[in-house]
Amino acid sequence: MKYKYPADSSATAASIPLPVGLRLPLEVRVHGRGGQGGVTCAKLIAALFTEMGLHVQTFGDYGSERSGAPVQAYTRVDRFAIGNRNKVYRPNHLIVLDEGLMGTQILEGVAPGSLLLLNTDAGLDSYAGRFEHYRFGVIDATAIAREQGIGSSSVVIINTTILGAYARLLELPLTVLEKAYASLGLSGDLPAAQHAYERVRVCEPVRTNDGPGVSAPTAGPAAVGTIPGHSTDFPPNLRTGSWSNQAPVYGDHPAPCNLACPAGNDVVGFVQALKNNGAEAAAAILLRTQPLPSVCGRVCPAPCMQACNRQVFDGAVNIRSLERWIADHSALEPLPQTAAQPLRVAVVGGGPAGLSAAYQLALRGHAVTIYEAGPALGGVLRNGIPAFRLPPEALKRDVERILKLGVEARCNSRVDDLRRLRQDFDAVIVCVGFGQALDLKAEGESLDGVEQGLDFLDRIKRGGVALMGNVVVIGGGNTAIDCARSALRCGAASVKIVYRRSREDMPAIVEEIDDAEREGVQLHLHRQPVEFSGSGTVSAMVIAEVEPGPPDVSGRRRPLVTQRTSRLACDKVLLALGQKSELDLLPDGWTMREGRAFEGKRLLPVWFAGDCATGDGTVTHAIGNGRRAALAVLANPDAGPSEAPSRGAEPVAPGQIRFSHFDVAPPQTDRQFRPSALTFEEVNLGLAGPEEAGRCFSCGHCTKCDTCLISCPDGVIVRSEDGYRIDGDYCKGCSMCVAECPRSAMEMQEKNRQKVSA
Amino acid sequence: MTVELLSANHGAALAATLAARANRFGRGFCSGVYPITPSTECMEYLCQQKIEKGRVVRVESEHSAMGVCIGAASAGARTFTATSSNGLAYMVENCVAAACLRLPVVLAVANRTLGPPWNIWADHSDALTLRDHGLIQFYCADNQELFDTVLCAFRLAEDRRVMMPAMVNMEGFILSHTVAQTQIPEQAQVDDFLPPTDIPHRLGDVPHTLGQIEIPHQTEMHRWQHHSAMLEVPRIYAEIQNEFEVIFGRRPADAVEAYRTEDAQTLIVSMGTIGATAERVVDRLRAEGQRVGALRVRLFRPLPVEAIRACYAGKQRIAVIDRNISLGLGGVLWSETRSLADAGAVVQNYMAGLGGGDVRPEHIVAMLADLEPRETAGAPSMMEAL
Repeated sequence: MKYKYPADSSATAASIPLPVGLRLPLEVRVHGRGGQGGVTCAKLIAALFTEMGLHVQTFGDYGSERSGAPVQAYTRVDRFAIGNRNKVYRPNHLIVLDEGLMGTQILEGVAPGSLLLLNTDAGLDSYAGRFEHYRFGVIDATAIAREQGIGSSSVVIINTTILGAYARLLELPLTVLEKAYASLGLSGDLPAAQHAYERVRVCEPVRTNDGPGVSAPTAGPAAVGTIPGHSTDFPPNLRTGSWSNQAPVYGDHPAPCNLACPAGNDVVGFVQALKNNGAEAAAAILLRTQPLPSVCGRVCPAPCMQACNRQVFDGAVNIRSLERWIADHSALEPLPQTAAQPLRVAVVGGGPAGLSAAYQLALRGHAVTIYEAGPALGGVLRNGIPAFRLPPEALKRDVERILKLGVEARCNSRVDDLRRLRQDFDAVIVCVGFGQALDLKAEGESLDGVEQGLDFLDRIKRGGVALMGNVVVIGGGNTAIDCARSALRCGAASVKIVYRRSREDMPAIVEEIDDAEREGVQLHLHRQPVEFSGSGTVSAMVIAEVEPGPPDVSGRRRPLVTQRTSRLACDKVLLALGQKSELDLLPDGWTMREGRAFEGKRLLPVWFAGDCATGDGTVTHAIGNGRRAALAVLANPDAGPSEAPSRGAEPVAPGQIRFSHFDVAPPQTDRQFRPSALTFEEVNLGLAGPEEAGRCFSCGHCTKCDTCLISCPDGVIVRSEDGYRIDGDYCKGCSMCVAECPRSAMEMQEKNRQKVSA
Repeated sequence: MTVELLSANHGAALAATLAARANRFGRGFCSGVYPITPSTECMEYLCQQKIEKGRVVRVESEHSAMGVCIGAASAGARTFTATSSNGLAYMVENCVAAACLRLPVVLAVANRTLGPPWNIWADHSDALTLRDHGLIQFYCADNQELFDTVLCAFRLAEDRRVMMPAMVNMEGFILSHTVAQTQIPEQAQVDDFLPPTDIPHRLGDVPHTLGQIEIPHQTEMHRWQHHSAMLEVPRIYAEIQNEFEVIFGRRPADAVEAYRTEDAQTLIVSMGTIGATAERVVDRLRAEGQRVGALRVRLFRPLPVEAIRACYAGKQRIAVIDRNISLGLGGVLWSETRSLADAGAVVQNYMAGLGGGDVRPEHIVAMLADLEPRETAGAPSMMEAL
């Protein structure tokens, strides 16, 4: 190379004096791993020497591998422009950014007396006798850089830190380092460099005359014209896992459906079991928490489906109908366990909460007696939900499964004296549901033909109800819809629903509203009756327009009744306005707080569950509440208020699902029975098959889909009996498996954190 | 003039940026870019620059990157792009189009071998696929030379007597990623060196077509014009060197760089960075009393036949080192220049450093040891350089 660009013209004016004893030309070799900043380290060294007015050349020896692969980088320093275009084979200074790289070949071409700087968390003593031919320095740059927050959680970048130690070995004053970092725009990393400058420990070469000699820097060139055959790769002997600062771990994260289920069902568990192992296996999981799958599989409002992460992709998984599929296609009947100390528990009320409490207790081998005021078990399920939605056989199947556990049912047994019951049993769980149905308090409400919807539904169940003329149902919940659809089936000429809010505000299940409209029910929204009229029997009502006002506590807009009214002719009015939540069963001197009974300040072994305790108003809430009350009884009959529903962990969010792994597949909908004339035959026939379970993302729960195994750039993930095993010796902690996991069933955890500043 | 620590990739992009800004009083600058290792840093750097009357367009492929340059140059803009390896292979159709349309696009290539199997490291096999299609080709050996050559390439490509694309090659990683001090001129100096781009056949107010169908006679004439223009390049480049030296105060490297060749008996001939290594070998062997010289071919298209012949004259033994292989023949530089040596001279071909092998002085010394006892040249041989 002709030196066309002499040093005095092209090198920067020296701003830092040359270190004493620095011999030129100088060659520096940096060993690091991809992502540690080794190449930049060599560039920083070059920049440092540029400040001294010297010519530099610096470059990396790049591999095509990802983070963590061994990388070398070089810096040459001279008084003249540098013509050498080769890699560095005989370095004067050797900087090793990672102890894991200290293989036998690392000292190749390094002469005795050369400078060797090693990033390690071990002290000089650990290397006693090993590098005594070299000027050997050690520094825990990783710990310093990590503490200073330089780099990422997966890869700590240590180049600016170790440069501080290097400056110390060059015997540059600290002020020079400050100046260099300022000129490089790296002042933010100066504290780490200063820390390393102060903490680096050096051992001067003790023996240089009998040194090992310079090992040949790689094999010399082969003879001309003799190209050897292909050589075989062999596994690297560098345990790359020792480099990582984090490691992937497998672990379940809460699925949104599971967290959303008021009954506490393991939704993702039973759906995946249905998909993989069939209905019986799914039932085994479902029946742990769900005594009424035939019921909930038909009438549950399914908060799980509203929470389903598939909702924002191509539609929620049809979980409710999958539950029904399991209930209708499995014959599993759980057997009671034997309790070490069986308790005698009275359950007051045979509705869903009571049945659930009884089921959980009986499953665990306790003696349960249900006191039911009505003629049969089921509560609102029996007399409040029409047969075309919930056939009596479905309820019967679930109830019989419960009774087979040994639960004693005493029907037509209204409990009037809780005091006595509490003395006869170890514990009492009160699940009597809502109180009386609410009325409208409008003029003319006592006219004949104005009836509570629940009474109407109960009458139909007992048979022989026929209607004529125009029927108006007041309300927007499931009872209102049930009344309207039942009225059509009983012969009404027309059925209208009058509701004071919008369609979106109706608490009824959306599909049920759709079905009602399809069957001919008309919705009169933003209307409220203010007066009923007729001579003896109702024949018309005055309905006022209702405007949406400001939002109330539930977020819904408060209805404001206006003076604008109109007249609506009617022959029958059904009130479906909800029920009171007051409890008139409490003996004098008792109070109910947080689901427990107190006498004065004394806690009694009496629990309350279901709508009488919470007023949540759905079957699934009642089931969950009943189960938790039962578990509270078992935990400790004298314990304080029963457990609150656990809602600790955050559910897997849509953003944590890798949608790109899934094909778009719209939900499978239920088959419908649509005869020309409406009957009380069940209208929803459920799914044609269980294939819908295949749409479940299995959020937060590993399905052994092998994506992690396929995504691992180092091939360190292998299948094992219970899932996967990660070879920690070679896992670099790149987190690609976690990033690629379609369902957020993995996470990264920190490892090897050292404390340095103490 | 300032001195900056720059990689050759960044140096190429900075030279292009200065050239781009120099055309702010002309019809501006436009560059279509698409990343590929090891040239990615070049386009990244370019994307970050603020260029008055300039536009860097990120497109979806190398083919389109050159397409943007063709469109912009057709409208009279100064144009530049950068690529490597299979990216260049994908760009070839439009490179040929730019050449045949006689558009002065400057193309920086960070040389990388062609895959598969995939290898990201350097050899000249990518650029040599464009040997025969009317693009000027330079091969560089260090950062400053690369920077200067990019500036010269704009001047040369846009010269009315030349008017064709110019490729400036730097070996991937070995040069593209090497950081060294680089002298950066002031914008005013570049303005002086590069007059506004003036493409005589650009699309303007009078509608006309470019690249329409033609008959054999026209194709023959176009090829001959193109070839004749290429043959002028060495002479015009020498003029440009002189102007460069006046403006920037340093002389850019020659089309063919001869190093201690005058009294040499043996010559080491190469392109790119191996030439720098050869010069170190020359120094080493000269110290031992051997009369060895080195010749580095920087301008490969057009091939400076006269300059090479002059240098080959009187040399008995010539080792031609090729960082490439024309499969079924041997090294390209060897095959093109062996006929330029004296009758009876031994011109032996050594192919080395394919796929990024580090050709060290030891390798060249071994080649010369192989060459010395030869009475006649043998078949091209390959040498492994790990």
